[in-house]
Amino acid sequence: MNFDPEFLRACVESAWMIVAMPFLVGFGIILSYLFGGLKLGEKRSFKTAAMMASIIAVAWGFFHSCFIFEALRSNPSYSFQENFDFFTCQNFKLSVGFLVDNLATMMLIVVTTISLFVQVYTHGYMREDPGYARFYAYLSLFTGSMLGLVVSTNMFQMYAFWELVGVCSYFLIGFWWYKDSAAAACMKAFVVNRVGDFLFLVGVIMLLLATKDFWGGGTVMAFAAQHGSAGVDLAGALHRALEAGTLKPELALAASSMPLMAILIFGGPIAKSAQFPLHVWLPDAMEGPTPISALIHAATMVAAGIYLVARAYPIFLAPNGGTDSIALAFVAVIGTITAVMAATIAMSQNDIKRVLAWSTCSQLGYMMAGLGVGAFSAGLFHLFTHAFFKAMLFLGSGAVIIGCHHEQDIRKMGGLRKIMPFTAITFLIGTLSISGFPFLSGWFSKDEIVAAAMHYNPVIGWILIATAGLTAFYMFRLYFTVFEGQYRGDHKAHEVTPVMWLPLVCLAVPSIFAGGLLGFTKEAFLEGGKAANAWSKFVYFNHPHIEGVDWTVLGVSTVVALGGIAFAYLMYVVKSITWNKSIVESNNIIYRFSLNKWYFDDLYGAMVNKGILPLFNNTWKFMDTVIIDNIVNGASLVTSASGEVLKYTQTGRGQYYALVIFMWVALLTWIIYIASPFA
Amino acid sequence: MDNALLLKFLLFLPLVAAIVIAVNPSKDDKDARGLAIFVSSVMVLLSLVIGAGLEGHYGGMQFSTVQHWIASPFPINFHIGVDGLSMSLVVLTTVITLMAVLASYSIKTRVKLYYANVMLLTFSLLGVFVSQDLLQFFVMYEFELIPMYFLIAIWGGPRRGYAAMKFLLYTFFGGVLMLAALLYTYTQLYAMDPAAATFNMTQLSASSHALPVHAQVIACLGFFLAFIIKLPSVPFHTWLPDAHVEAPTPISMILAGLLLKMGSYGLVRICMGFFPAFFAEYGPWVLALGAINILWGAVACLVQKDMKRIIAFSSVSHMGFILLGIGSLSNAAVNGAIFQMLSHGFISALLFFMVGCVYERCHTRLLPEIGGGLAFQMPILFYFWMFACMANLGLPALSGFVGEVTIFYGAYTSPFATSSLHGAWTQGWIVAACVSVILTAGYMLWLLKRLFYGPEQPKWKGHLYDATMTEKFVATTLCALTLLFGVAPHLLTNMYSKVGDRITSEVLNRIQISQTDTTTKPNL
Repeated sequence: MNFDPEFLRACVESAWMIVAMPFLVGFGIILSYLFGGLKLGEKRSFKTAAMMASIIAVAWGFFHSCFIFEALRSNPSYSFQENFDFFTCQNFKLSVGFLVDNLATMMLIVVTTISLFVQVYTHGYMREDPGYARFYAYLSLFTGSMLGLVVSTNMFQMYAFWELVGVCSYFLIGFWWYKDSAAAACMKAFVVNRVGDFLFLVGVIMLLLATKDFWGGGTVMAFAAQHGSAGVDLAGALHRALEAGTLKPELALAASSMPLMAILIFGGPIAKSAQFPLHVWLPDAMEGPTPISALIHAATMVAAGIYLVARAYPIFLAPNGGTDSIALAFVAVIGTITAVMAATIAMSQNDIKRVLAWSTCSQLGYMMAGLGVGAFSAGLFHLFTHAFFKAMLFLGSGAVIIGCHHEQDIRKMGGLRKIMPFTAITFLIGTLSISGFPFLSGWFSKDEIVAAAMHYNPVIGWILIATAGLTAFYMFRLYFTVFEGQYRGDHKAHEVTPVMWLPLVCLAVPSIFAGGLLGFTKEAFLEGGKAANAWSKFVYFNHPHIEGVDWTVLGVSTVVALGGIAFAYLMYVVKSITWNKSIVESNNIIYRFSLNKWYFDDLYGAMVNKGILPLFNNTWKFMDTVIIDNIVNGASLVTSASGEVLKYTQTGRGQYYALVIFMWVALLTWIIYIASPFA
Repeated sequence: MDNALLLKFLLFLPLVAAIVIAVNPSKDDKDARGLAIFVSSVMVLLSLVIGAGLEGHYGGMQFSTVQHWIASPFPINFHIGVDGLSMSLVVLTTVITLMAVLASYSIKTRVKLYYANVMLLTFSLLGVFVSQDLLQFFVMYEFELIPMYFLIAIWGGPRRGYAAMKFLLYTFFGGVLMLAALLYTYTQLYAMDPAAATFNMTQLSASSHALPVHAQVIACLGFFLAFIIKLPSVPFHTWLPDAHVEAPTPISMILAGLLLKMGSYGLVRICMGFFPAFFAEYGPWVLALGAINILWGAVACLVQKDMKRIIAFSSVSHMGFILLGIGSLSNAAVNGAIFQMLSHGFISALLFFMVGCVYERCHTRLLPEIGGGLAFQMPILFYFWMFACMANLGLPALSGFVGEVTIFYGAYTSPFATSSLHGAWTQGWIVAACVSVILTAGYMLWLLKRLFYGPEQPKWKGHLYDATMTEKFVATTLCALTLLFGVAPHLLTNMYSKVGDRITSEVLNRIQISQTDTTTKPNL
């Protein structure tokens, strides 16, 4: 299909509408709720209107994004941004705006697609819930915030929308606020994210300090230079700062250290993308309704961390532009630790959503590791494919939960394949894809990361391969326990309505084909040559990455993954291996370590409840109520006490006053006499 | 219409209204309330009209009225006028006063006296913000004590006597220091050049720069202490939680929303504007004090059990941002600090109003007694509470964020942060202050959780009711303003930034002078 270039250009230049529409819808619903009274929220027509408005806004965004993609695809060097002043004073300016380039377009498509399917699915999932319209409002607000984050032109705007997606996540995790667990989870999510935001903030102000004179009058901390203006992009400003010496290439505890700055900025992604050691909020976030888990805590918001690292990639690079920097090594190590840690935890969990949450955590570790080892395109490719199959898996788990009457414990499921065929088949596709089954989406993207990691550092490479085996194992443990064998629940299970399984089927298509379509090249795969695949021709840093296929790594990793599947099959379907039972029964340290999530929650809980809060309490009581108030009250006590004493001098007798006056005069005369020079 | 006349009218309207309300013969309390609402609404309109008339001339003093009164031995004049900074605070005052008057529906005793006192309070607040004569400023600043004392002592909670006296003594102590500093400034100027001695604030903002460094430091210290007691700043902050806890809801709104701003306004207008040498010398110390405030307020919030105390301490924490901003002397941070005072005016008024709404229903402020689950009974108030908490913890798109982020960005790139002498010190305190983004989120969300989240408490079942129309109106107005200024901060910055820019650049020039001048060494 060929489109009018003018039309495509207009689409790009009006990209702000994609962001604005969900915001308007979200605010509209909430305002009508507030002023139309709560009764309005129960009306069928209002619910339908809220649902339709939300879905139309995001569907618009989806088609608009597709046109933007077409505009950028047909004109490879094209990008567009527009900035508006947000805060100005004499010599300081903060801007917000929207930037449309390849990276942003890719994320726009991911976010709008997933959000669209999730919103359709929500109609089925939340149908009975009294907060149906409110839920759509939050969904729209989240979608708007996430899209705003995606099109951010500079670090300040990114930080702002970063917080906004965080708060939407807070609202949605705590959607069922009357549940104690949800109340605790949403607060935990926000506060843990704020820990990351603190580091992010410090990193950003360091960046500002180092580069403040080098933006050439353009937008401060801009990601990309504006066409036809004096503005400078991030890489350019950093380069100038390094030359001027306000930024130093070595790691040091100083505001001018570039690696320190990068690591601090990475603090934000550590929290947002649930990386070790700030991953603790993500599993608890599963207290939110399942569509949220799919949209926010699997596909989009948690990927914002990956997106930020990709956007701010120049900060992470070595001064010569190489990927062998300290900061990227840090990213790679954190990503690898997260991948393997989350995978070991996922093996022993029994809540269907929590297994998926840990697997999300682990896959985000892969993406981080990918960016860290310098595989920019591969890391984002995995973000892309993972978004589809993980959203599908979560929506599938939601269907299972509904089908089993709000049961989340996989020990009370089983045999659902016959009862819920659509859910089962899509879930199987997702499981195969995430496990790295050949020719499915996950296989292409994950193995690109693993191959790059192997070249970067064999230790990281082997850890990631081993993790792929663990992933295949725990995902199939989940699949077999839920869908094979005998049904073990108390209530009769049923298949969900088409409005819920249709989005699953739709998402299954990219879960199968996206990897092959974008990741396969004839030259690389069949002819042994080197070539850039369709994906890395569109999403790349500086220049498209040209890579051959490392069949050894690919083969080993595929074999390990298939081994994991086979192991799970023998253990949970054939039941010829019974180690699982003996491990659970022996309750040994390794099992407990995994079951208790490496004891991070206990550690942090103790730190806050036994360490920080008592410390604050005691310090505050000591300072404010003991020291300061005692000084204040003491001062007033001295005043009133001296008043008490002195009041006895007020006798009211004339001769007494005359005596006092006489004595004072005598005293003063005597003093003057002593002190006078005439004496 | 003549704007100078309107400004005079605006200033004296609440004074007249106070008398009229007090002596009106009607026995019906509703008349007093109606009259107060009417007068406050008129004041809002007047302030907007005057503000509109100021358009384009935000930098200089406008609409001045000078009435000579006593010429000798001191020239004492009645002198009022507004520039962008004063005007934005005047608008804040009229809006918050209207909101507070509307929120006073819970006052049932001695209503006429109450509204008369509120009007007197407004008069003194407006007087502080429009005074252009230092003595008049001082009188207005001190006059506020009288109505405030009675408002706390008559309509307050159980420990109102203690709280009102504590408030009075603390502030009075500051007032004495200010009087001393004011006279000291005058005599020093007189000693330098009898013709330069004046109480005219516009002239002072130029002539007092010529004072020697030690004289500026001594004079500024007096003003500084007076203002940070009002602000309040650690270690002079303990009057604030007591006063807030005991004060009735609308008075808390005025106290947090407006009274504290007198301190921060004074810091910018007088301390920074008159005595740049003080900031050139001790800026990093002021910044450190700000950081300590931010952290100390936040730490105190985390250990309180009384919801009103939490909000009170969070005010201490948020006013610390202002100290941090002005101490850094960065153009962005000083403007951010002014933004923060305006934004905090709206947000803290909203929060205290929200606290009042819950107290009105539950008759307790203690979180363990409330026990959570209030969202069942008050879903609409839950929304407003969420909004207020988010505004307070600095959520982007709400006004609190703009202040915080510009202060952090500005302070970290300030001349002190890059100087070899104070760089590490300044940067260290700013990074420490950044920890507050975690602590603030912690205490605000914990508060929200302990109030609204969780299962329904049987004791509240059927006893509580949701927001009334008045409550919705007040809360919505304040929320809307917070959102408006968070999304379009230029609506506010346009008004005051010329003044902020001018004051900062004067201080920065001073730093350059003192750096080239080898005789004055910074004392750090």
